Amino acid sequence: MMTTQRRRTIGAGATLGAAVLLLSPTMTQASTEAGTEVAWPEEFTSAYTVMATPDEVIDADGEVAPGEEGATGDFMFWINSEEEVICYEITLEGVTGGYESPALTATHIHEAAAGEPGPPRLAFPDPEPIGDEPRTSSGCLAGPFMTGVEGDDGADTGEGFSLAEIEANPAGFTGDSHTEEFTAGVVRGQLMQVPLDGIETGGGGMQQSSSQIGVFAGAGVLAVAGVSAFMLVRRNQAA
Amino acid sequence: MIRGLNWRLDVGVRRLPLGVAAALALGLSLSACGTPASQSTGPEPEPAETTEDAAPSSSAGGSAEPDPAASSSPSGSAAPSGSASSAASAAEAGVRPVAVNIASIDVEEPLIDLGIAEDGTMEVPEDFSEVGWFDGGGMPGGRGPTVLAGHRDSTTGPAVFHRLVEMQPGDEVEVTDAEGEVHIYRVERTEVFAKDDFPTREVFGALPEDELRLITCTGIFDVEAGSHEDNHIVFAVPVDADILR
Repeated sequence: MMTTQRRRTIGAGATLGAAVLLLSPTMTQASTEAGTEVAWPEEFTSAYTVMATPDEVIDADGEVAPGEEGATGDFMFWINSEEEVICYEITLEGVTGGYESPALTATHIHEAAAGEPGPPRLAFPDPEPIGDEPRTSSGCLAGPFMTGVEGDDGADTGEGFSLAEIEANPAGFTGDSHTEEFTAGVVRGQLMQVPLDGIETGGGGMQQSSSQIGVFAGAGVLAVAGVSAFMLVRRNQAA
Repeated sequence: MIRGLNWRLDVGVRRLPLGVAAALALGLSLSACGTPASQSTGPEPEPAETTEDAAPSSSAGGSAEPDPAASSSPSGSAAPSGSASSAASAAEAGVRPVAVNIASIDVEEPLIDLGIAEDGTMEVPEDFSEVGWFDGGGMPGGRGPTVLAGHRDSTTGPAVFHRLVEMQPGDEVEVTDAEGEVHIYRVERTEVFAKDDFPTREVFGALPEDELRLITCTGIFDVEAGSHEDNHIVFAVPVDADILR
């Protein structure tokens, strides 16, 4: 997948974060267990959105286990798979109570198709503040990743995970968050890819035609001026 | 004096073809903006190939199966399966849109499917007279934004969405879905964003409600980049929702 140039900043928090990073680069490469917190990259290779709802929650046995009624989650992810960086902006609304999960955090991307359970591959800082609306979380994590959950093979479920796997099959991944009351998930939704950057909906013809009109108009003025001068000359000669 | 006059006329005549030549050259170099994203080669990219490339990566929100023919077929052939969320009801997924009617700017067009190009940006209609919808996003009557895009201009003059910039809050947009139902949206606001500071989340991000976005280009045409600098975006909400709000 090609890389698209990107110069945007994402939200005021991101701008502030980037400024801080520029000022003190050595202090910002904070390594957490889940990954390394990094600045927003200049480039991304793909972007995803998630509409997380309570009715999408599936428990470990694959059964529907509705989350908190009325709660919604809006997850946005930007991936640079070449640098193994994933940026996130997560907003939860209508979620009550504290978080709970056996993982490092309670907000994840699981490798799981719709209606299926699956292991967490990425763990993100939980949206805050608890007890106020909306809860938000944003930043960027660089691999290698850890989730704190041990898989069947005894290894961490984030170990060896590559973001290219999400790009290869976004619908095979789900975003969710778990709370004390809804341990299977308070809201959940599948990743849906969305476009990067602006939309190229123009060929420039309107601007071009106006400049063409300008050229013709200019030529016309010159021609009229020329003819007028010619008439003037003829008149002078006649006189 | 007559000789001088002839010289001046000569200059005038000579400048005209130069100007036209420059404009033509400009047109050729600018054509990239009108072709699907990042394809800088001429006006004839392969529709089936780009759609196929994009389909797997954008399948989450739209049809589960890639549909190579959909790019040139207004109605498409894939069922509005709502495969991304099997647990969601059909009402939450919405129904694939097939046509748009905007009386205020005299646009009445069928819709083609648009996916995501290899470089991660959104495909755009290859035909400057066509309007497309992003098939990885929301659908009318369902959750999330339905996103429609059309060209402001071709390489030679106005295109299908050249009057989109005239739309005002309160204007109505009718979107017909594949089941024949007409969804009426009312413009809430219009905004201009620099393409290099494009609000992806605001335009394409998940929503619990049904909304509509109409997108075209605006701003200065950057000759070197072969692209308008900005996008003009119309944000609309269902008329029914207006009553509820």
